[in-house]
Amino acid sequence: MMQVALKIWRYDASTGDRALREYEVDAPEEATLLDVLDIVKDKVDGSLAYRKSCRMMICGSCGMRMDGAAVLACKTRMYDVAQSGHVPVISAMGNLPIVRDLVVDMDPFWEKFKAMKPYLQPGYERPDDGREYRVTQERMNAVKKEALCINCGCCVSECNAMESDPEFLGPQALAKGFRFVGDPRDGATVERLEQYSGEHGIWECTRCFFCNERCPKGVDPRDAIAKLGAEAVKNGIDRDMGAKHAKWFIRSTETTGWLRETELVPKTQGVVSSIKQMKFAMNLIKHNKAGLAFPPHVAANVGEARNLHKLVHEQGVLGAAGHIQGERALSKLEHGYHEGGDPYGPGSFPKPYLPEDTE
Amino acid sequence: MKRVAYYKGCLASLSAKELDTSTQALAPRVGLELVELESVTCCGAGDIHEAEPDYYLHLNARILAYAEATGSDTLLTVCNVCTLNLRQANFMLKGDDTLRARINANLEAVGVPPYSGEVEVRHLLWEIAEGDGYELLKQAAHKGLKGLKVAPFYGCQILRPSKIMGFEDPDRPWSLERIIEACGGEAIDYPAKIKCCGFPIIQAREETAMGELIQPVEQAIEAGADVMVTPCPLCHLSLDAWQQKLEASTGKKFGLPILHLAQLVGVAAGIEESELKFKRHIVDPRPALERLEV
Repeated sequence: MMQVALKIWRYDASTGDRALREYEVDAPEEATLLDVLDIVKDKVDGSLAYRKSCRMMICGSCGMRMDGAAVLACKTRMYDVAQSGHVPVISAMGNLPIVRDLVVDMDPFWEKFKAMKPYLQPGYERPDDGREYRVTQERMNAVKKEALCINCGCCVSECNAMESDPEFLGPQALAKGFRFVGDPRDGATVERLEQYSGEHGIWECTRCFFCNERCPKGVDPRDAIAKLGAEAVKNGIDRDMGAKHAKWFIRSTETTGWLRETELVPKTQGVVSSIKQMKFAMNLIKHNKAGLAFPPHVAANVGEARNLHKLVHEQGVLGAAGHIQGERALSKLEHGYHEGGDPYGPGSFPKPYLPEDTE
Repeated sequence: MKRVAYYKGCLASLSAKELDTSTQALAPRVGLELVELESVTCCGAGDIHEAEPDYYLHLNARILAYAEATGSDTLLTVCNVCTLNLRQANFMLKGDDTLRARINANLEAVGVPPYSGEVEVRHLLWEIAEGDGYELLKQAAHKGLKGLKVAPFYGCQILRPSKIMGFEDPDRPWSLERIIEACGGEAIDYPAKIKCCGFPIIQAREETAMGELIQPVEQAIEAGADVMVTPCPLCHLSLDAWQQKLEASTGKKFGLPILHLAQLVGVAAGIEESELKFKRHIVDPRPALERLEV
């Protein structure tokens, strides 16, 4: 047995009462965070509220935060934390309204999930031989990672773009979107890409990579969003400013090699919108932060990059296939940081996320 | 001296030239001999990675190949985004012989030397936060920052995804704090130091980006920061240049000076202002730094 101490943010939405309470219990050495919460509820305080079901990392019910980072409680072993003497702070997930204690309202999450039309819209014809439509393992591997999602919300909890704009579809919904865009049996690819390229879609992702870091199942939602971006560009769905921005980078590497920064704004936002930015731009020019380089800043042998781009297009590894080809090598790397000293040493910031917390 | 291939990236080549000049001035004092790469392009900044991933991989393989051709086993970067793009491509190429063979055939077809996978991509931050670089940094920082309160701002792509970056705990990083303290400054703590500055979407979704940018700026000021330091010129650009837009939209006056990592260490090491080029900043750091002279 071991002694485990926890601090839990208790919250009652009906009264608005909030308090950080400390608990200390005896638990088996193999106990997970969920096991410890069960012990607290059974032996110390039966009013503690949290969600759970399968206890084996497949139902996605027990997402919550430990020291400000979203985890599945049933996947998080407590032995090392208890041994270190650190008292972790447990709180509800971020970016979703708190109902009580560690329970969040998942309705906004499910609304976005539903908006993705998360079901197959078959777009294939039955083969002439009358047998079933067959898909190779290789083609299904394209969505292998995205199919692992258990809808726990750990990625949504930490999404920096969603914190700023709650309307953003977010990492879970978009990863689910690629699960269908990448499925060879689905026939609604273009419609889906049009829909997912809207104001709060693919191009609102801020690339903070918190979703990849937190996902307990290895879905890597940010990578799924990049796959959607690549598929959108491949299919000519590139009216969004984000897509135009990306295309200007490609153009820059073919012409000067380096980013043509000054032209990036008009190429992304259009001329009219850029004129509105004039005052801002003049201040940058005053400090040599913008303006045309003269003579133009051109990388040596830039023709090599231009020829590479041509070659790449001829070989046709376009869209998400370009991302998927690297996955085998990247899958050899493990998420998380596994070396080094005391994980709770200087620089640790165990502040839980609470939207109106003034503490 | 450790001889490293130096990839300065787009911003240090143009709008953030002060990052290049301060890095060049600092390098010999922390034991780095920089071999500047000439025949290289933009890494794609996450944008080409997203839109045309196969081209992204070729562009980055080309940079890695030219780095390898210098004979050095280290490619030094000074930008978070370059670091992620190059490290990610490097892992893809090192971890898959078939993929590397195809990319190399294409590189050779356009006249680029093939890449054998022997280069490691490292940010300047990592070179001076530990080992010989750190020991030399402590000696070099003789002028000291005399208790200057410095807010470390890591940005995203030097920490996450940790499986690709792998230098430090992405939730409890320590490298910037260690450097600030070695330079005689006081590192202040605040939650948004590991969060996003909004830069990748600052043009396509400015409002969303502003909602991210305000967090480190407000929190650092509230925690008493005199200046902020960042290892990323993209974070620097949004924090420094877009701060005026934050001021306009909130009606608050922030005036938080933002320093590149090489500039902060450069001040402590007594590097001339002609190399550090603070006049290129939108928020002038000189008033905060002049107080150190007293």
